[in-house]
Amino acid sequence: MNEDESTIKVSFTEKIQKLQDYSLMVADVFRLSPSIGKNRASVLSEMYLIGTQAVFLVLVGGLFTGVILAIETGHNLEKFGATLMISRTVSYGMIRELGPAITGLLLAARTGAKNTSEIGAMQLSEQIDALKAFGLNPVEKLVIPRVFAALIMFLPLTMIADMAGILGGMFITNMTFNIDLAYFWNTAIHILQFKDIFVGAFKPILFSFFIASISCFYGLITRGGTTNLGKNAIHSVVTSSMVVILLDFIFTKVVWEIM
Amino acid sequence: MIELKDISLQLNGKLILDEVSLSIDKGQTHVILGPSGAGKSTILRVILGLLPIDNGQVIIDGREISSLPEKEALQARRQMAVVFQSNALFDSLTVSENTAYFLKDSGLLEKKEIDESVKTVLSFVNLDGTEGLYPDQLSGGMKKRLAVARALVTRPQIILFDEPTTGLDPINSKAVLNLIQRLKSIGTTSVIVTHIINDAIMLGDTLSIIENGKIIESGTIKKILQSQNGFVREFFYEVYQDSSLLNEIQARDE
Ligand SMILES: Nc1ncnc2c1ncn2[C@@H]1O[C@H](COP(=O)(O)OP(=O)(O)O)[C@@H](O)[C@H]1O
Ligand SMILES: [Mg+2]
Repeated sequence: MNEDESTIKVSFTEKIQKLQDYSLMVADVFRLSPSIGKNRASVLSEMYLIGTQAVFLVLVGGLFTGVILAIETGHNLEKFGATLMISRTVSYGMIRELGPAITGLLLAARTGAKNTSEIGAMQLSEQIDALKAFGLNPVEKLVIPRVFAALIMFLPLTMIADMAGILGGMFITNMTFNIDLAYFWNTAIHILQFKDIFVGAFKPILFSFFIASISCFYGLITRGGTTNLGKNAIHSVVTSSMVVILLDFIFTKVVWEIM
Repeated sequence: MIELKDISLQLNGKLILDEVSLSIDKGQTHVILGPSGAGKSTILRVILGLLPIDNGQVIIDGREISSLPEKEALQARRQMAVVFQSNALFDSLTVSENTAYFLKDSGLLEKKEIDESVKTVLSFVNLDGTEGLYPDQLSGGMKKRLAVARALVTRPQIILFDEPTTGLDPINSKAVLNLIQRLKSIGTTSVIVTHIINDAIMLGDTLSIIENGKIIESGTIKKILQSQNGFVREFFYEVYQDSSLLNEIQARDE
């Protein structure tokens, strides 16, 4: 076996090992989740941090996504004299797809990097060992509050992105294609069915779990020095972004098949 | 009270601890002394159960704890406390929150009792008046004393110190050494890991000398200085030259 092959083999085994360790951590998250009541102060402070740090980001992200969506589809629909259709495209697009996906990606970066760097720094400065040495479980103290905070906060943040996108789309459509604001708004809201709301609400909950748990995991496995912490923060953001994109696809596909 | 029996441990294929055995009586201060890289911190991590061992037994109060399931192991650790070399303070919490952290978590005490204990312990380590500061606002010596306060507040029977004076100036080092000596008066069993010979001689009722993962000599400093082991003779070279220190040691009773 040449050197390249053996390196590939080692990195593959390492990946499998990581996946196994991640699964064990997730199992711990479920097993220890009843501790959430005891640690509610941490949950609240994490919720506050996620909310305050990300609200502006998702607002801007959602707004421009909606604006671009309206302009792009608007110019195409205009060729068929169908500019009245812009509102439903923007509404479906934001609620079902782009709102959750953009928010997911932004939070994978924002919340993901925060979790990994915080927990990773705690690992390097022996704070995690201190917890363990005093008989506490770091999954209970650090991971579960972050996972719950994300589970609670991602949906409202996604709704903010959705709304910003629809409103942005509404104003730009009004300015560019002369569509009445009230007409736009009414169609955008009325065409939404249970299925659309369900898809739009379920995705952020799914994303939040994976983003929070993956980023905490990368924090916990940080060893060595600050270079590794930087690397792990990158791995964390990349992995959770990939997971968001993949889950988004799988979920959309599955829902279209069954509903 | 603490007994290590034939502990062996490999990390990444390298033998880090080689049949380490130690025995420390209740209320005693035991120093593990050796050059850096010898395996001293590893021994502390083994006692705390933070590292799984390949062989041997860790017996605390007659109970073997290295093979306990995680939940019982966590329980067993609660009678121990540790002051890490890096202090490992929670940097998002204030001095008083750091001190109260493990007390609060146990959920056994009322808020008022917790506040009382925190106040008492902070004054024991001379940190009164710093309650609202964050760790990065403290000097090195104060951080160390806060780490000691956090360890003391749960009233552990055993406290482990990893290089307690490394990186401190002489005055702060002295304050920390005094603090460790005062622990004996409240009946705490201490295990101190260090590479500083003078600290070891000052603090230890008994000592173990470790080199390359092996304990090569154990006992009182008097006994150790009589050793014919080449490494011991070399390591204590300066002590053998210092007649006033030698006299002071000779004058100690067993
Ligand atoms: N995770 C690890 N993997 C491999 N080797 C390690 C690891 N941790 C420590 N070591 C090695 O174990 C030896 C003892 O380390 P340590 O107990 O920290 O020494 P000391 O505290 O006496 O300076 C050192 O040679 C160190 O390089
Ligand atoms: Mg060490």
